[in-house]
Amino acid sequence: MSCHVAHERAAAGQRLLALRAHPLRIALVGQPNVGKSVVFGRLTGRYVTVSNYPGTTVAVTTGRSLVGNEVCDIIDTPGVNALEGAISEDERITRDVLTSRQSDLVVQVADARNVRRALMLTSQIAALGKPMLLALNMVDEALARGIVVDAPALAAELGIPVIEMVAVEGRGLPELRASLACAARPRVSAHPNASDRAAWAHDLTDRVRHVSTLSLASIQEALARATRRPATGLPMLAVVLYALYLFVGVFGAQTLVKLLEDDVFGRGINPAAVWFADRFIPIALVRDFFVGQYGVITMGITYSIAIVLPVVATFFLMFGFLEDSGYIPRLAIFCDRTFRVMGLNGKAVLPMVLGLGCDTMATMTTRILGTPKERLIAILLLALGIPCSAQLATIMGILGGISFAALATLFGVVLGQMFLVGWLAARVLKGERSEFILELPPIRWPRLGNLLTKTRLRVWWYLGEAVPLFLVGTALLFVLDRVGALVFIAAAGRPIVTGLLGLPPATAQILVMGFLRRDYGAAGLFQLAHDGQLTGVQAVVALTVMTLFVPCVANFLMMVRERGLKTGLAILSVVTPVAIFTGAGLNYVLHAFGIQF
Amino acid sequence: MHLAFSSNGVRPLTALAETEKAVIVEVRADVHGRADRLLALGVTPGAGVTLLQRFPGIVFLCDQTELAVERDVAAAILVRPVEGHA
Repeated sequence: MSCHVAHERAAAGQRLLALRAHPLRIALVGQPNVGKSVVFGRLTGRYVTVSNYPGTTVAVTTGRSLVGNEVCDIIDTPGVNALEGAISEDERITRDVLTSRQSDLVVQVADARNVRRALMLTSQIAALGKPMLLALNMVDEALARGIVVDAPALAAELGIPVIEMVAVEGRGLPELRASLACAARPRVSAHPNASDRAAWAHDLTDRVRHVSTLSLASIQEALARATRRPATGLPMLAVVLYALYLFVGVFGAQTLVKLLEDDVFGRGINPAAVWFADRFIPIALVRDFFVGQYGVITMGITYSIAIVLPVVATFFLMFGFLEDSGYIPRLAIFCDRTFRVMGLNGKAVLPMVLGLGCDTMATMTTRILGTPKERLIAILLLALGIPCSAQLATIMGILGGISFAALATLFGVVLGQMFLVGWLAARVLKGERSEFILELPPIRWPRLGNLLTKTRLRVWWYLGEAVPLFLVGTALLFVLDRVGALVFIAAAGRPIVTGLLGLPPATAQILVMGFLRRDYGAAGLFQLAHDGQLTGVQAVVALTVMTLFVPCVANFLMMVRERGLKTGLAILSVVTPVAIFTGAGLNYVLHAFGIQF
Repeated sequence: MHLAFSSNGVRPLTALAETEKAVIVEVRADVHGRADRLLALGVTPGAGVTLLQRFPGIVFLCDQTELAVERDVAAAILVRPVEGHA
């Protein structure tokens, strides 16, 4: 837009600024997967997770940015397709930011390919009466598909600045900052209903967008097609799972763990720590606290760094690659029918697959699901059956070393149990499921920079989240051991642990620790298996029970936060008996048929 | 739109052949919220669609958005095939 009017307005704005009680608050709003979080990162220097699927951001993040000589608060919001009508929980969060006093100015981020949909949203934002501007992101991808948007013409029609951007490369960001002062209320007459809005967006798009048949993105399109067709998509899924197994299960859980546990810790750190403690710590109790059987270093640090970290890191790297490629939502096409039996629809594949990274985060991601019933079932199934990365680590580490049949038995039983519980929940719980409607993101080659940043931050997050709990857990075990409570726990748990599940008595304390964090318990099993104290059958039974338990204290707290204490306790009281009885049944069947692994 | 319509009648999206192009005529609003959700994704009368895949789920391109939906949803989207592609 011609900006001299806007400059005067900006000057007036700056006078106003001096009177402002808080920094100017700028909300980044737009359809899912248009790059709001990338723009946020560019403006604030803060990284929030960026991926290639709708629903990566399900909560509000705020950061500071200097625009000109003015400090602004930038608000990253969950993607919205609409601000009114049937909207999901994450969309409601964004609507609240926009309709309340939490935001003063709106930057609508749009996918340049999809101006038509963007304009439907623009019309709804305009109705809120806040000054705004429109950032057309990913103009490079649009161009590759033969789509050109006449930004000046669009700006003239709307009466707001329209900036063309390629946010991942930082292109258009200086222009965006410069234009913030020119933000204005769009000249859009109020549209009484959604179809009027759609018709308006349609006509305007016809005037400002030119689509030629030229397409340079044919390799991506061929890949996109291959991933969703059964004849090519299912073999591709098998290849992806096998690659995941090789990279995480073999390279991470065996090669790296062996290197760290046996060489770095077993021959380096732990003997050095013991030597140091023997020389400098005269009190036996304190010495044992650090380097004894339940020592903070010999057990806590060893478990978290040597056993779990390598697998978590390799998993996050591979997982980030899959996230950024746009592959995961395409699995929804294959899962839809199965999920419908469990009262869900294909869209639930997103939280389920994310649960393999971290069940706690995935519990939050269930916000993208359509109905409260779907959310509840998804949260229940996440808690019941989806092993998080840290736990996958120990499963792969223990069972991968025994046999493929052992691994297949565990996943078969866990998936079967999820299916059964989901089927029951779909029938018992009130409410309805929503229909399967999912936008598929384009297939992209992941950017190495984003992949590494994301993996690094997730590994740091794991270290900050899990290691303290591992240490607290170890300290607790140490205390319990000293006051003789471990013997008591083992005795109390005997009917279940040795009777029903057929496990060695020492497993009782490990199962108790499994309540704190499943992977901590699983790391205990890893140690036990490593020392040759578990048979193949025992390992499978113990890990199955552990997998079916509620993942960790953090996951439980998240369930309470998202669905309330009553629901959290209800889920706990369903999951725990299911875990124990499934383990008992499995133990019985394996013995009855004389199966060894 | 500057596209010529065939004399073919209106039909549900599910009746299109794969890769067949059409223009949306109506989105039936028989389930609560369905039309709203589709509308928000740009599935509106006048928008061009191409059916990409029918099994295991229906996948279609609407304007520039690739959408996966279940059969019931696709059946509620009424389209008119574009001449020359039928």
